[in-house]
Amino acid sequence: MSVKTISDVEFGEELPVFNPDTSLENTSAFAKAVGWGGPRFEDHDGARKEGFPGALVPGIMGMGFLVSAIHKWAPEGQIQNIDTVFRAPMLADTPAIINAVVTDIDEDDALVELDMTIKNEKDETRVFGTAKVKIPPS
Amino acid sequence: MVDIEELRKQHLETQFDQKEFVLSADNLIIAARASGETREEFLDPENENFQATPAFLCSLASGSTLPIDFPSLGGIPMDGGKAVEINAPVKPGIKLTGKTSLHEIYDKKGRSGRMIFIVVRMDLYNDDEELLATTDSRLVIREKPDS
Repeated sequence: MSVKTISDVEFGEELPVFNPDTSLENTSAFAKAVGWGGPRFEDHDGARKEGFPGALVPGIMGMGFLVSAIHKWAPEGQIQNIDTVFRAPMLADTPAIINAVVTDIDEDDALVELDMTIKNEKDETRVFGTAKVKIPPS
Repeated sequence: MVDIEELRKQHLETQFDQKEFVLSADNLIIAARASGETREEFLDPENENFQATPAFLCSLASGSTLPIDFPSLGGIPMDGGKAVEINAPVKPGIKLTGKTSLHEIYDKKGRSGRMIFIVVRMDLYNDDEELLATTDSRLVIREKPDS
């Protein structure tokens, strides 16, 4: 379910679960577009030679996934700030699950705060963060 | 062991790097689409509000990671996280200037030693000196005991 105005938002509401495309083809395209190409992001064998368990999803792509999840939930919302902590690497070709919950609503300023996580299928947190989103007033 | 308070006194909020950027619309679209973005303002260059995603802004890096006179802490800096605050849309094809300083330095002690956290802040301006966005990069360094 998406929200249009601040009055649509409920405290504790969970955003729709978002399963991003973590295929190596997709994550390496992102890496190249932001100028971070190289074996660790583009090739599993190349990444293993650098000591990683496989090709990595760029950390900032995790932020990109979180931003997209927010935009799907609040199509008119404007992200004011987003802060992400890279707790452990995300691997390409490994499913990721994004969850987010509304932790604060400021109706006067039409601002919503979110806590967000990206986990793998073992329920291990790879990235977590917070965001402040301006939602159109009612 | 490096004195964190001394590092703070010497380095916080002092600009140590300045770098210019011009963003490519094609790269903005590729990165936005790969992230699962669905909004036209991040995907359609014909949209009047076409702009970079917050994540793309965090890819902009200064010419040097730390000030030239910053002491070696022994370990290799790891990327501990990123943050961005958006003040105005950041559009492709215009000159952007990133001014970089250290915003915060702190440590955490654990059984395996001390970890030092450094927040590198870049303020991104357009040619009119308007602050468009601020990005923070959180570097984590495991200190070597004899450094």
